[in-house]
Amino acid sequence: MKGNDVTNNDNGTATGNGNGNGVKRSSNPLSGSMDRMRDWWAGAPQWQRWGVYVALIVGALILPAPWIGAFMSPDNDWTTVLFFPIGVYMLMAIGLNVVVGMAGLLDLGFVAFYAIGAYSLAYFGTEYGWNFWATLVIGVAITAVSGVILGAPTLRLRGDYLAIVTLGFGEIVRITANNTDEIGGARGITNVPHPPDMFGQKFLFDPAPYYYLMVATIVLAIIFSRRLEISRVGRSWAAIREDEDAAELMGVPTFKFKLLAFAVGAIIGGLAGTVWAGQANFVAPNSFPFILSATILVAVVLGGSGNLPGVMVGAFLIAWLPERFREVQDYRILFFGAVLVLLMALRPEGLLPSRRRRAELAEGTGGMGSMGAEVAGPTSDPDMEVSK
Amino acid sequence: MLLEVNDIHVFYGKVAALRGVSLEVDEGEIVALIGANGAGKTTTLKTISGLRPLSAGRISFQGKDISRVPAHKRAQLGIGQAPEGRGIFPGMTVEENLLMGAYARKEDHSKDLADVYEMFPRLAERKSQFGGTMSGGEQQMLTIGRALMTNPKVLLLDEPSMGLAPMLVAQIFDIVKEINERGTTVLLVEQNAHQALQLAHRAYVLETGAVVRSAAASDLLHDPQVRAAYLGGDLGVA
Repeated sequence: MKGNDVTNNDNGTATGNGNGNGVKRSSNPLSGSMDRMRDWWAGAPQWQRWGVYVALIVGALILPAPWIGAFMSPDNDWTTVLFFPIGVYMLMAIGLNVVVGMAGLLDLGFVAFYAIGAYSLAYFGTEYGWNFWATLVIGVAITAVSGVILGAPTLRLRGDYLAIVTLGFGEIVRITANNTDEIGGARGITNVPHPPDMFGQKFLFDPAPYYYLMVATIVLAIIFSRRLEISRVGRSWAAIREDEDAAELMGVPTFKFKLLAFAVGAIIGGLAGTVWAGQANFVAPNSFPFILSATILVAVVLGGSGNLPGVMVGAFLIAWLPERFREVQDYRILFFGAVLVLLMALRPEGLLPSRRRRAELAEGTGGMGSMGAEVAGPTSDPDMEVSK
Repeated sequence: MLLEVNDIHVFYGKVAALRGVSLEVDEGEIVALIGANGAGKTTTLKTISGLRPLSAGRISFQGKDISRVPAHKRAQLGIGQAPEGRGIFPGMTVEENLLMGAYARKEDHSKDLADVYEMFPRLAERKSQFGGTMSGGEQQMLTIGRALMTNPKVLLLDEPSMGLAPMLVAQIFDIVKEINERGTTVLLVEQNAHQALQLAHRAYVLETGAVVRSAAASDLLHDPQVRAAYLGGDLGVA
């Protein structure tokens, strides 16, 4: 069959009919204007789309300007904040979105891949003196393999069981790093090499080149995951997310594709780690706590799991808000938590959900794919058909 | 024999769901599997399609042992299942759902799509609607249509009449008959024993994980014991 004969429906283009697919339009003004934007986007000619892409990239490039920083980050150097946490969180969210948003697998240990990416650069850079780009390639390979290593024994689990095992994996990686003297133990590794000069930019203490490198990496990650999403692979993931059993019945090798989702997510998470370590100059187990996995997951769910612009907005907010409101230091985590609770209560589908995701939620049982507990739906769970 | 299930045992944890179920389905037949809630009907279908592992016994399809073949490969071999209730892809449109059925097929399947739309005009009307927003009956049709898109040699139907209005039930049974007449073998699980027996050629009665009766459907339909247990006594059959 032709690989692409099902148009991806995220922007309502399946049949060129944005309104007819039966998802109730919310009266919520945010959703209303979003729907209008989607309809426009669906019908926009190629040159207009390219215009938007170029505008976004130009926007990203002038974002470090001091006059923007004066408002966005009055307390800290804005460009530094843009690189970490904002850029790193966004890149990680794009990676986790592949796992959680596209394949519907709840991963609570995503920080492990970030750590493995960072440690790859630190170890090969300091022990063997390898160049940043060489270790980037090695790091990608190592994280992909570690994704498969995590996935192979655990992906037969579903829902909350998978979440628990991945959580364990995140902790194992951190604790192993902590207890392995070979990679510095609790003290970590210092003098991690910076990337070599590029385009006349020196990668030293000025955060700007790192920021541009991050923008480039994010753009690549977006293209990569978007190409996957609209391919046969993405369709397989969507089927797995929405109903894993039904996907098998259609002939989808679900295990293989779940493994692939883990590997792709791991690669992007590892990239974030490597790029970050190139700037940080120092990696230690403390930089990879469980809370970071949780934070990135929050970014994905808050922004609109499965929708790239959504998860990026989510990651931006999650990274930026606590930086912006440093003046209320002691209360900011409390405030942050309250905002999250409110948002999830009022908009459980996230800030910018895809239409597809809204339809999944509307159906009631399968909204998060196999995320979370597998609760029996309105019809009785057939698995409960057990004879006494 | 197209499909042969030989003494299969299936467990959920330590609880036996199937204890030695054997059944046969011949090419071109409609075979019904009836029984009370919890008798193991759905489990039997899921084990045949590969969604449930069996701990003992043997399933063969077209003479080949498929007991250890994963579900997606069985689908490709020609075992199609329409899962019970709402087993559709809610975030895909009706057409996307149907095309997922053709996922593993390399040959052209546009004719099958047209056939499904002809069989279920309702689905054609709702092509671009999200699966999750359709009514129960429409979703039921969609699971059947989607299973047909896999071009199955045997179609496993799990409670196709569940939760439907009587008129729709009759319609669904007509469609099952039509599917069979077009050459697809059908293994049908039903609680609606009366109608299932009228439609099927042969039937098996399942009780607490084991087959207790098997006979021509018409015989079972007039069997006093079966009538008392599954057909509501003297009601129903004229």
